[in-house]
Amino acid sequence: MNPIPVIELEDLKVRLGRREILHGITCRLGVSGTGKAIGLLGPNGAGKSTLILTLLGFLRPIAGRARILGVDCAHNMGDARSRIGYMPENDSFIGDMTAVGFVRQMAELSGLPQEAALEKAHQVLFHVGLGEARYRELRTYSLGMKQMAKLAQAIVHGPELVILDEPTNGLDPAARRRMLKLIAEMKNEQGMNVLVCSHLLRDIEQVCDEAVILKDGAIVHHCNLEEERRSNRSFVELEVTGDDGNLRAALPEIGAEGVPEGLGRWRIVLPPGVQVDAIWDLAGRQNLLVRKLTHRRDTLEEIFLKAMGHIAHTPGEAGV
Amino acid sequence: MSVYKRGYQRYSGQLTTPWARFLVLPRYAWRRLYQQRLVLLLTMLAFVWPLVCAAFIYLTNHAELLQGLDPEFRQFIQVDGRFFSIFMYVQAGFAVFIAALAGPGLIAPDLANNALPLYFSRPLTRWTYALARLTVLVGMLSVVTWMPGLILFAFQVGLAGGSWFRANWTLGVGMISGFLVWLLILSLVAMASSAYVKWRVVAAAVSLAFFFILSGVGEMIDQVLRVTWGHIIDPAWAVNQVWCALLGVEAPEGPGAAASAVALAAMILLLVLVIERKLRPVEIVS
Repeated sequence: MNPIPVIELEDLKVRLGRREILHGITCRLGVSGTGKAIGLLGPNGAGKSTLILTLLGFLRPIAGRARILGVDCAHNMGDARSRIGYMPENDSFIGDMTAVGFVRQMAELSGLPQEAALEKAHQVLFHVGLGEARYRELRTYSLGMKQMAKLAQAIVHGPELVILDEPTNGLDPAARRRMLKLIAEMKNEQGMNVLVCSHLLRDIEQVCDEAVILKDGAIVHHCNLEEERRSNRSFVELEVTGDDGNLRAALPEIGAEGVPEGLGRWRIVLPPGVQVDAIWDLAGRQNLLVRKLTHRRDTLEEIFLKAMGHIAHTPGEAGV
Repeated sequence: MSVYKRGYQRYSGQLTTPWARFLVLPRYAWRRLYQQRLVLLLTMLAFVWPLVCAAFIYLTNHAELLQGLDPEFRQFIQVDGRFFSIFMYVQAGFAVFIAALAGPGLIAPDLANNALPLYFSRPLTRWTYALARLTVLVGMLSVVTWMPGLILFAFQVGLAGGSWFRANWTLGVGMISGFLVWLLILSLVAMASSAYVKWRVVAAAVSLAFFFILSGVGEMIDQVLRVTWGHIIDPAWAVNQVWCALLGVEAPEGPGAAASAVALAAMILLLVLVIERKLRPVEIVS
């Protein structure tokens, strides 16, 4: 029997008003029941949220088909929605309800019996770190607490697939780390499939196993992050003073690719095996004064730059 | 073991039926609405008139208590269509105010807090959501309208006997169906104002103003054009025409019950369309 993909899109076209937002997307993402996370990446306006709303059945495609856990999103979502949890990007709650009342109501709407819903509401609020504040009204919560309450309502019924739209929006670094840890736990310990929509590469890189990059309503890249991580590329953020007009042409000398960001700032991808010293040497040869250089192992940054058309090819790849 | 020690585990038990899920929203809404003192007070006040009517029914069925009264007056006080129509007018008035108080708290907070995507991402369609909200209001208003009316009717049958029932059963049917039409109109108006006006107080005012303004406009049409059909746009007037026909009571001058019923049906359709446009998980701006 063929495994059921978490998300399956066939020539999906979606229009908002008179504007076509998604232009015939086709792909198969994830495998149902495997507990993996899929990252949905793209700049603002790429169509990420539109795709999510279509998957939830909120928007009807003008052509093509979208299936979620094997169910057609446009026609037969009914009971399939009991198997999905959704955390929207914007504030979504009922202000004059306590967190426990709100999460319990959402659990009951998903089909949990009253007693089980109450028990799960308490459990999940402790799980996301709102245990002590669970009897407070949601309108009194801080932004970070509201994000956690939204996550709690999305997972209270133990869905097979959790869709998270910009889950780390507005979170401070500590809360962001906690959110990413919870997402990792959801897939690793609870076996949930997770679809994370974000424009933050590092969030996706940290928790996802698979990534899809959208640009102008089309998929420009789909990759398995596990495999990409093995490629061992690294990423450099460089800031120089001096005439850096020739730097882009000089970078291929060391097998690197870079994107100028203005005012002497550069984003450079180094191929495997090339050390950061090579950048110092190159800058010296170009008579550039290095003001700042940060270096880290990164896979998505390079993929994203390539997908967006900022760099032409992957540094270090044969045949380039 | 304490909840916080147990940790979170995915739920893997049986799911409830669609009917049980449908009743979740009304259950939570009723609990919240009856926590409002004003709603509770008005609901309790609305039971005063049915109690007076019950006393009246008791009196009319005990001839010995009325022996000292004028025979003409004894002829006048009877449990008939006129009696039930007066009962309905008073209870319908209470229903208007209860709907105006309770209605705005139903949809407006969900829209103001952007909660609709959370509802609609669950096994709940827009129509079931709207129907659940309608059930909240119709349920609340039923408690003060046709339910006490039915009890009064049963009380009268109990005192007057089977022969009265055989001669007047249409009054019971007419009262219940007449009330249900009125409750549907009231609930839809309250929901529509709640869907468009996010501020509760204003939404309550809008839902009250709806009836007064249409009544005024109907009167204006009649006066300016020297016609009698202008009132048909007034839902209270149109409902009264239908009630009069159902209870066999003389109706005021103007378009008949059939024309009024058509006008009410058109009004209901319009209100449903107005609500349908607003209850969407995402708003698309062309």
